[in-house]
Amino acid sequence: MKDLYAIVGVGYTPQGTVPGRSTLSFHLEAGVNAMEDAGIQREEVDGLICYRHFPPATGEQDVTSYLVAQHLGLQPRYLAQDAN
Amino acid sequence: MHAVGVLEAGLCRAVLITYGHSAYSSDSMWKMLVSRNSDDAVFGHFGATAGYALAARRAMFEFGTGPDTWVHIATGQRKWANLNPRAVMYRQPMADEDYYGSPWVVEPFRRVDNCLVTDGGRAIVVTTLERARDLKHPVVTIMGLGMHNPSAEVTAAHHLAGPTGAKEAAKTAFRMAGIGLDDVDACEIYDCFTYTVEITLQDYGFFGRGEGKDWLADGTIAPGGRMPVNTSGGLLSEAYHMGLTPISEAVMQLMRRCGERQLSPETGMKTYPEIILCSDNGGILQTHACYILRRW
Repeated sequence: MKDLYAIVGVGYTPQGTVPGRSTLSFHLEAGVNAMEDAGIQREEVDGLICYRHFPPATGEQDVTSYLVAQHLGLQPRYLAQDAN
Repeated sequence: MHAVGVLEAGLCRAVLITYGHSAYSSDSMWKMLVSRNSDDAVFGHFGATAGYALAARRAMFEFGTGPDTWVHIATGQRKWANLNPRAVMYRQPMADEDYYGSPWVVEPFRRVDNCLVTDGGRAIVVTTLERARDLKHPVVTIMGLGMHNPSAEVTAAHHLAGPTGAKEAAKTAFRMAGIGLDDVDACEIYDCFTYTVEITLQDYGFFGRGEGKDWLADGTIAPGGRMPVNTSGGLLSEAYHMGLTPISEAVMQLMRRCGERQLSPETGMKTYPEIILCSDNGGILQTHACYILRRW
């Protein structure tokens, strides 16, 4: 598999102390920015992996990879949520 | 690793990997740390810091590491953060005295041995080499990867002072890449604690057991040093996005998009970097992933 696959885009968000923002909103902003940075349309993205399933903060919804996919307008063939 | 797996299997054409957490401004991180506690919390053993502190204590006993080694990691990475406007610690330099003056959290770790707790997110897109060649940025390929899971809770672990999963994971990754340590231009190492960087570099083979103090001295990993490590400031001084902090920084360095902190002849490198070694680990040194990225 050497050199067969590539990382083509990076998405950033504001970071540090950013009050009033939900965990979901950071997933979405980073995801949109990464696709835009890569120059890849969301229709082409057919896999989604979300890092780490944290306990939801008080007042926030539980952030699953299903929720992130739906908000990004993705319908992935592969969906996962993992720490690595 | 999972992304490459589904691409290789032909199940997907492009995989998006995202991280996000309102870790600083909400109670989510606290809830996670509390949920990991068990009965020994009444003796003061709670949170990830205590687990890694236990591992670091064992390493101090076995091969003589300690704060005099870790000071080089904390201050070296901070110098990188001071070149990165995005880093939480961009405007906060750290001298050796500042390191030794930082308060204990769990001995032997001071506050500055701990990674940051930050709000924010990070994401990357992984696709095939063929597709990448048509896209706008310089192509950065995954040259090798490997994972290893010693997998025992910290209180029952045999790998606290190494070898951790880093050793076997790196063997797999280097075998796939067909290169050796001498070919690596820089490292982006998962740095939840300063000790994590030391034990990872040691298990990767950059230096022998307990030789990190000498290897790291005189700015080895800092700007202008002979082996730059965690060039964004890392989890210790940039921001915490788990494994995506190191991976995304390696990608940006190889694409030559890093501004003032860009590794180049202007910042003391012989050339622009071609190959960067990255790591990620989980639990209390329970699981380890090693990635070798290259500019195609």
